Amino acid sequence: MSQTSTPTLIAPARPGRPALGIAVAVLGVAVLGGLLVGPARIDVGGAIAALYDAIPGFESAHGLTEVEQRVLFDIRLPRVVMGALVGAVLALAGAAYQGVFRNPLADPYLLGVAAGAGLGATLAFAWTGNEALVAPLALAGGLAAVVVTYTLGRSVGGRTATSLILAGVAVAAFATALQTYVLQRHVESIREVYSWILGRLVTVGWVNVLALLPYAVVAGAVLVAARRLLDVLGLGDEEAIALGLNVTRVRWVVVTAATLATAAAVSVSGLIGFVGIIVPHTIRILFGWSYRVIVPLSVLFGAAFLVIADLAARTLVAPGELPIGVVTAFFGAPFFLIVLRSLRRAS
Amino acid sequence: MRRIAPILALLLFAACATDATPTTTTVDSATTTPATQPAPGSIGPASGFPLTVMADNGEVTIEKRPEAIVSLSPTATEMLFAVGAGDQVIAVDDQSDFPTGVPTSDLSGFTPNLEAILSYQPDLVILSFEPADSPVSEGLAATGVSTLVLDGAQTLDDVYGQIEVIGKATGNQEAATALNLAMQAEIDEIVSDTASSGQGLTYYHELDPSFFTATSETFIGQIYSLLGLVNIADQADTEGIGYPQLSAEYIVSQDPDLIFLADADFGESAETLAERPGWGGMTALDDGAVVELDGDIASRWGPRIVNFLATVADAVKTHASAA
Amino acid sequence: MIGWRQVAVAYEGKRVLGPMTLEVQDGEWLGLIGPNGAGKSTLLRAAVGVVEHDGDISLGNGRRRMGLDVAWMPQRPNLPDDMSVADYVLLGRTPHIGHFGTENRDDLESTAAALASLDLNDLSHRTLGTLSGGEAQRAVLARALAQEAPVLLLDEPTANLDIGHGIEVLEVVDGLRLKEGLTVVTAVHDLTLAGRFADRLVLLSHGAIVAEGTPSEVLTEELLTAHYGPGIRVIAEVDGPTVVPVRRSNDR
Repeated sequence: MSQTSTPTLIAPARPGRPALGIAVAVLGVAVLGGLLVGPARIDVGGAIAALYDAIPGFESAHGLTEVEQRVLFDIRLPRVVMGALVGAVLALAGAAYQGVFRNPLADPYLLGVAAGAGLGATLAFAWTGNEALVAPLALAGGLAAVVVTYTLGRSVGGRTATSLILAGVAVAAFATALQTYVLQRHVESIREVYSWILGRLVTVGWVNVLALLPYAVVAGAVLVAARRLLDVLGLGDEEAIALGLNVTRVRWVVVTAATLATAAAVSVSGLIGFVGIIVPHTIRILFGWSYRVIVPLSVLFGAAFLVIADLAARTLVAPGELPIGVVTAFFGAPFFLIVLRSLRRAS
Repeated sequence: MRRIAPILALLLFAACATDATPTTTTVDSATTTPATQPAPGSIGPASGFPLTVMADNGEVTIEKRPEAIVSLSPTATEMLFAVGAGDQVIAVDDQSDFPTGVPTSDLSGFTPNLEAILSYQPDLVILSFEPADSPVSEGLAATGVSTLVLDGAQTLDDVYGQIEVIGKATGNQEAATALNLAMQAEIDEIVSDTASSGQGLTYYHELDPSFFTATSETFIGQIYSLLGLVNIADQADTEGIGYPQLSAEYIVSQDPDLIFLADADFGESAETLAERPGWGGMTALDDGAVVELDGDIASRWGPRIVNFLATVADAVKTHASAA
Repeated sequence: MIGWRQVAVAYEGKRVLGPMTLEVQDGEWLGLIGPNGAGKSTLLRAAVGVVEHDGDISLGNGRRRMGLDVAWMPQRPNLPDDMSVADYVLLGRTPHIGHFGTENRDDLESTAAALASLDLNDLSHRTLGTLSGGEAQRAVLARALAQEAPVLLLDEPTANLDIGHGIEVLEVVDGLRLKEGLTVVTAVHDLTLAGRFADRLVLLSHGAIVAEGTPSEVLTEELLTAHYGPGIRVIAEVDGPTVVPVRRSNDR
């Protein structure tokens, strides 16, 4: 072995300016698209002027009618913001789950959140018929399911990641069976429940955005801060422990934050699938293995992805709307095929 | 004597044939439809029977006048009682609630259970919906029970047709005809009374808070069209589904003159509409032109569609006087 | 120093190690030898909190902060395919970085030093999945060295290395030991190599210490054949005992 001269210091993994630039640009285009396109046909120039005018301290004549302004600021803007928020949360939670369970195809619904929230929403529609109760019951259902999963996974199967996932599968199956039973007994609510399950950002106002915001911000901060720890977890529990990490506690904190944010997102937007898998995994393939790259980019690309998906959902069959879960699944299925092909080529 | 006997016989026969006792009806006069009390129908144990009628499940033969009718369709229930067949009905489904006092049971019209229906020992069963995977009419036919399937009406003529079928099948044909005439007369009166006030007014008919609506191609839409109202969903229904889902943005930007809430029974009202993002400030809300519909009247296709038309006409007149 | 006091480990109810007591002094190199399944790895894993154990394990300064006070090179490490060698070695600095912190200049320098000392500079940008067994093993050791802990526990550090690389790697460790005053405990298959580098050897068999002493004292034919099986000859040389295998049947 020959000793070389002093090596240049390596740089720890980070997203890098090109990646961040692309992410911000894509998000910007998505948001603009979401604000300027829609069945109400608002003049693009006028809309941009109105948005500019809305920024405190800036003025611009825009010529939009009162109806058009209401459409732009009371309907489109909160909807775009909500789409960005939900997309960011789901992608971030997906990345966190992939890191914590060392499985690049884990998604935020893994521990039964989706099934639990679906059950809560079904009960709200079937037993009360009161739409206002859907979100709180869905949130409660999602969280309850994860608590049960965690308790079962720890007591029955030990504390490993695998036992948690298996417990999640069991809980999800049970919750889904319950949900089907309730629906059979309340056949008239099937359409509402089904429409909720497919995901929608339809009746979003600032109230809904504010309901999600605290969960998203707090959980988001925790998960983004924990990104380096996810890389350490990639070495496996044993080596992570030997490196001084309290693996159980880190896993618990990350899972709780990710689940809380996911449950909150699901309670307002229904079950939007594939975002939590597609976005982080695509970023992994394109931009790098480290969660210090994947996590921050997931926030930006996740937001952009869902805003674009929502735009597609409300323009493809305008003025009707596709459920947004259909659009994300439509992109998701071919994506899986591409991933499978690239894996096959690699091995 | 020889010449009198045949004439006497003829007179006697004629007297028997026209002997009629008025049928009693159980229709509560306070909740009666705008149509007048049904005219007495002829009852004689075998008058007109056996006969065949044409229903949505094909030709159905009815051997004798049914006395144990089971109705699994709220609309059919209303029609039955309106043509004077109320006595002949022994059970109606769990959703049937008009007129007051109908013999509601646990039977489900959505998920009909063959055994449960048979436990009532019916001689005629009327359905509006048959699940594709367990056709009840076949099972009933196998046990010798006549079944009429009367699907949702597509046009007003379908409604009159179904009333005629029910009238004929239950031995109340004359009452049915009278009912139809009365309904037509009332409708004509409402239309002419409203004159041109409704022409060109736009409306939005909300089926549920996720913006499902009915276009003017649907049955309910055709009723609105009688008054010349224009449905904002028409140009949106590019697929011709009839019941498209709109978006909030579209409805707000169309700004309809009148809004009809078929989901009022589920809590929607002018107040809840005002809370929807972007809806406050819509013309219909500002003018008080939001109408909460009785969910039953708006979803059935029986004699009470006349009530429905009257409600719509009232809304049009209110709008005209406010303008 | 590091000391195991009455330490016992059981897997699925079956006792595999101990109770045993062992103490290693500051700056000492202790070699753990013994047949497969004797408990060598288990002993080291217990010390870093990876397996549960009865008894007491302590380090010199009274604290046992994993990663900081004791570094472990595992026998079967997880090597994520897409990670670069440099990133992997950098992970060794984890104990020095707070939960939510990032690497500072010290961390980068320690990593660079570890890479250099194991001749990994040319490989630093290669991904782990593309390395040979020996190269990967050097990376794992580099990661342990980057931790800069006063106690080093190395589980089969030369298993995949050819004889030349094996000697060089152990020389690097020895050099660091003398320079920094590290305490080193190694589990090494190669008995001769173990004898050459360790100050003291401990022979483990069926979870218990059966011999302890200098290499010359422990590497005897009597002890080795008793615990490893027949067919072992020990040749005494100037540097220390040399252990050679002997074919059972000699009619060739």
